[in-house]
Amino acid sequence: MTETTTQNRSAKTNLDWRHFLSSSGLLLAVIVLFIFLSLVAPHFLSSRNLLNVLRAVSFNGIIACAMTLMIIQGDIDVSIGSAVAWSSSLLGVLVIKMGWPLAVAVPVVLVQGALIHTVAGYIRVRWLVPSFVLTLALFMMLRGAARQITNAFPISPFPSGFEFWGGGTIKFLGLGLPVPVLIMFVTFVIFYFISTQTVFGRSVYCVGGNENASHLSGISVRRTRMTTFMLVGLLSAFVGILLSSRIQSGSSQIALGLEFEVIAAVIIGGTSLMGGSGSIFGTFLGVLFIGLIGNGMVLTGVSPFMQEIVRGFIILVAVFVSILQRGTARKEG
Amino acid sequence: MSVAQAPAVETPVLALDNLTKQYPGVLALDRFCTTLERGEVRALLGKNGAGKSTAIKILSGAVIPDSGRITIEGTERTIRGPQDSLRQGIATVYQEISLVPALSVAENIVLGRWKRIKGPFPIVRHAKGRAFAKAILDRLKIDIDPNMAVSRLNVAQQQLVEIAKAVSYDPRVLVLDEPTSALPQEQVDLLHDVVRTLSALGTAIIYVTHRLHEVPKIAHSVTVLRDGKLIDTIPVADATPAKITELMIGHDWQGMSFERHKKQGLPALQVSGLSTSSKLRNVNFELYQGEVLGLAGLLSSGRTELLRAIFGLDAMSAGEIRVDGDVVHAPSPSRMKELGVALTAEDRKRDGLILDFSVVMNATLAPIDRISDHGWLNKRKARELTGDIVKKLDVKTTSLDVDVAALSGGNQQKIVIGNWLNTNPRILMLDEPSRGVDVAAKEQIFKLVRSLAAEGMAVLFVSSEIEEVLDVCDRILVIHEGEITGEYDHDAIDLSTLMARTMNA
Repeated sequence: MTETTTQNRSAKTNLDWRHFLSSSGLLLAVIVLFIFLSLVAPHFLSSRNLLNVLRAVSFNGIIACAMTLMIIQGDIDVSIGSAVAWSSSLLGVLVIKMGWPLAVAVPVVLVQGALIHTVAGYIRVRWLVPSFVLTLALFMMLRGAARQITNAFPISPFPSGFEFWGGGTIKFLGLGLPVPVLIMFVTFVIFYFISTQTVFGRSVYCVGGNENASHLSGISVRRTRMTTFMLVGLLSAFVGILLSSRIQSGSSQIALGLEFEVIAAVIIGGTSLMGGSGSIFGTFLGVLFIGLIGNGMVLTGVSPFMQEIVRGFIILVAVFVSILQRGTARKEG
Repeated sequence: MSVAQAPAVETPVLALDNLTKQYPGVLALDRFCTTLERGEVRALLGKNGAGKSTAIKILSGAVIPDSGRITIEGTERTIRGPQDSLRQGIATVYQEISLVPALSVAENIVLGRWKRIKGPFPIVRHAKGRAFAKAILDRLKIDIDPNMAVSRLNVAQQQLVEIAKAVSYDPRVLVLDEPTSALPQEQVDLLHDVVRTLSALGTAIIYVTHRLHEVPKIAHSVTVLRDGKLIDTIPVADATPAKITELMIGHDWQGMSFERHKKQGLPALQVSGLSTSSKLRNVNFELYQGEVLGLAGLLSSGRTELLRAIFGLDAMSAGEIRVDGDVVHAPSPSRMKELGVALTAEDRKRDGLILDFSVVMNATLAPIDRISDHGWLNKRKARELTGDIVKKLDVKTTSLDVDVAALSGGNQQKIVIGNWLNTNPRILMLDEPSRGVDVAAKEQIFKLVRSLAAEGMAVLFVSSEIEEVLDVCDRILVIHEGEITGEYDHDAIDLSTLMARTMNA
């Protein structure tokens, strides 16, 4: 009996801490960082620089939306960088080498991206293959396939007008807002609604929170997991297309290491690798935080090697914050 | 020394004197006294919560008693922890197998006590470990190859390896906690042989079991506990099943009584020829609208497995399930939910709740279709349904948004039940709804069950507390080793007979 009551107490006091750390804490960090950089970093506050920050994180940010769901449901995907490169290469081959119109090639690339990941999701749920191993295989295969069909050379040029999607701007309040940034914002809004307002979104949390209980409650665990895999595949292909547009070529060498940048943003955003908790808004803040730190270090002349150390250290800090959040509550459970 | 060996009456190997353990609200063990002689096999019996596990935990060092003395071979000892217990000469084998499957039998026996090469390098001398393990297996006349990986052994063999591991510490007293509960009948003899061998070698054995019929085969004497108190210790010759169940239950049992409706509706659930590869064998029964059907059986009798198979959680190898007369092909939780069947799981923390999610989330896991519209959540509806449940089941919670982990066991259980009531089921299967639930909540839950039945719901009720089954149910099925072995009307059977039936005595 005392055991339960002490547990009650710790769970209750923890509640405030946890909620504070997971949302307000990071928001506070982003704000403090912003103020700090505007004081110490030259030209930081210019609209041009700030738009550059957003543009730099936009491609990662788009995929991070789906990756957040992936990690909330207790899976992980390390293949996204390769999937981006593969989709870019495929688009290049279809459009430039084979002469397909963009209007056909783009949907085809999107569908194959979704399909490959759906199959991976099926293998995940059907044979209970750990998602890390499964996507590690995809990571190698897709990168290899991309190099195979392009001989590891960029394929260019795309028809004119295509560069708009990855490199163009739209006038907004007198600013030239980069198109990928706009797309990122839209993606975040859509995924915010998916995660908080839909049955699928709730299922993702439940499956990650307690797969047994979810299955027993008649929630379709398999369909939920596979849908998330599909979304990750779809957005990876989408980003592959956007990046092709930005660099005006289909390339197998792009997005190297992107998977870990995206996972890092999700983790810094407060999503737990244990599954069951996290938020799209947190990921948004995580993406911003990484972008700001990177930009600040460039502006203040920190060496690129030092920047890597700092990025790694931030992940470590994020991990300890999440240990702090869970620590006492989990110990007794 | 020679003088000390002289006394006519041999010093008991183990003497327990007034062992007491108080938990908040429960006196788990109340002045427990007993003595064991060399080579004596003592059966320790009692219902759930009688104090058996507390007694065992004290001996194994998992629990420190509040007061009382433990004397081993004439010397008073203090047991400070599990390792200390082994050093003092008491080895305990728990019900759950705790071997490392990938390692060999020998490696498991010497686990953590590897023979090392002398010098600074931590290199293990496997040959020496194997020889040591082999010697122990030979001593116990256990015919298992020490080089075999444990994962390739059957459950009985694994249990024997556990015993060999315990014996390798050379204990004066060996405690066996329900060693046969997970074993099929034909493997039980193997284990009994080893117990007899050990007894002949002079080790005193405390043998906890729920299988009454194995008591005369294996034990010399029987100790019965009830409500933490020692009831009696009797020689095995006097320990008839009737005598034992009488001691286990006592005469002071007063059941709760509920209003009953004799009327029986149409069959809601029909199970015929149901078998699974693991446990169930040809199970047949019908559950009617408006009745509470009890499933009485021991811990691994197959009661949970039966509910799981019906709910599509475990695959059936044969048989048929009908809901409202229609055959259910390929049952799954979501299919059964559609058909109006509900199951609240035995282990609510593992299978029933998402502990760090809010009360609302947990109370609307199953009725997700009722709180959504074309895939969009209707959060107001979710709060409404949760509010209804909180009111109807009298859930004590500060708000609907606190983590369900912050609720007491009884209130958590109400949320689990409420989660399913929110799906408007017509068939409700409850697996151990009173486990870890306080008395007041327990009674509320039982009243709820009766009133749901009065409204026409068909309820399948499983509990390891035989009294509860008798109290709450209209009709009772006895399940033993995966088979239905009896069916009784609630007023046609008394408690001790029912208890004996579940133990197949």
